[in-house]
Amino acid sequence: MSERSSRRQFFDRAGRLFGFVTLGGAAGLLATRASANAVYQVDPSKCTSCDLCRTSCVLSHSAVKAVNDFDKCGYCMLCPAYMDVMSMPDEKGVPTGLICPQDALKRRVVGTVDPDDPNNNYYEYTIDEERCDGCGKCVKACLPPAGNGSLRLEIRYDRCVECNECAIQVVCPDIAIVRLDVPGIPPPADHSVVHE
Amino acid sequence: MNSLTQVPAWLRRAAPIALVAAMAASSVVWAQYQKAPPDFGGSYSFPTPTHPEPKADWMHVVDVAALVTALSAGAWLVLRRRTRGGVLALSVVSLAYFGFYRQGCICPIGAIQNVTAGLVDPRYTISLGVLAFFFLPLVFALLFGRVFCGGVCALGAVQDLVLVRPVTVPEKLDRILRWGPYLYLGIAVLFAGWGLHVTLGGWQIDVGRRFLICAWDPFVSLFRISGAFHMLAIGGVFIVGGMFVGRPYCRWLCPYGGLLALASRVAWKNVSITPNKETDCGLCAGACPFGAIERLRAHRGRCVSCARCYESCPFEIERRGGPSAEVQFARLVKP
Repeated sequence: MSERSSRRQFFDRAGRLFGFVTLGGAAGLLATRASANAVYQVDPSKCTSCDLCRTSCVLSHSAVKAVNDFDKCGYCMLCPAYMDVMSMPDEKGVPTGLICPQDALKRRVVGTVDPDDPNNNYYEYTIDEERCDGCGKCVKACLPPAGNGSLRLEIRYDRCVECNECAIQVVCPDIAIVRLDVPGIPPPADHSVVHE
Repeated sequence: MNSLTQVPAWLRRAAPIALVAAMAASSVVWAQYQKAPPDFGGSYSFPTPTHPEPKADWMHVVDVAALVTALSAGAWLVLRRRTRGGVLALSVVSLAYFGFYRQGCICPIGAIQNVTAGLVDPRYTISLGVLAFFFLPLVFALLFGRVFCGGVCALGAVQDLVLVRPVTVPEKLDRILRWGPYLYLGIAVLFAGWGLHVTLGGWQIDVGRRFLICAWDPFVSLFRISGAFHMLAIGGVFIVGGMFVGRPYCRWLCPYGGLLALASRVAWKNVSITPNKETDCGLCAGACPFGAIERLRAHRGRCVSCARCYESCPFEIERRGGPSAEVQFARLVKP
């Protein structure tokens, strides 16, 4: 073996060793900061339903959906998130306009039904996720004192593609998209702070 | 004024405190403001809102296992079997899984940014799968060369598959453009780790941490069959350009390709064109669409392990049971 090729081999080995040591060191350091399952989620205490979740998600149909917490929901007949209370009322005094532009907020009457006066009835509100585009109009309308604040926006993990960089997080003006080490929902919104 | 002085001093001092306390108390009432869940009188049971679980841990394991399998298969096909067909098949499978099924996400090219952010910011949570995706191809490159580029990378596979009529890029131009990956790597690392905060006279640039590689990935919109207009446009330019220029993104832009090239230069084993002093026909150099064969040997950094050179080599064809090399050369010489 010539001197030249053995010198080359030496440099190769040294370079390889350097490479392995560098990679090993960086991997070791990062492994201490790594999590097996980090996810993005909306922090409802910071979310202002600004509509950017609808427009900024890389999915053509945003992975952010409105979710109704049934144990907080008032089951109101005159739900401010369901119907536009400022719109023209019909002959029974029920507003005719709806808040949801996608018609994704559905309701069905539950319990004992009073056929004569709808105001005596209770309604269960659910979100049709195939229609909901995460605009947050209902979430905004449900905020206290008009509503109970039972609606909130949530990143649905079955839809989210877990981008390397969440496109909504980049534009979110209220830093409401948070990275969670442990999958879950951040604590419910503190409505002592009323968002605009 | 006179009446105010008659108010005892302790009360005057306490007044603002009392006011603040009253406000706090009212806000507590505000926070508890909630209509109680009604009694419906029927047999209604309260539903619980559904919260879909995030992707199970084993799905991440599947991704990493798929990567290791593909890398091992690539190394074996390129270095042992020396078969272009095998590498091509592998790249189609990789494109289907990492490209169209996983929608181009998870990918080591983008992982550069996560790793940078993780090193710079201790609070940044990097996912273990992303960590594995960043380091495994580099380890393989230190051992076997750029087998990731050749058969595993979905972005490479797209460009490899659309390459129909490769033209030779002038050496001088290629020499300049080859700095592209390192320039891009530097910019991407700067933005992923720190963002850009510069004040120049009246101009102020204030951009937070951004993952530029993902934002300007030319093929991710193809994998997702949707995307912003500029992404689709860039993808189109690279696809059409890639029909005539071999792997333009890999050679002149891909920052991860730059890292792999550095590792591959000191690799334990590389693509090796068997020396043959008598012949040195140069058919392999003509077959390489990436200008990676220098002085009739595969360049250790630039070779992307596509195995095209083996396909063109008369000795390789003979080794695999084709006509003997002499017969092939005779055919070539004849018009």
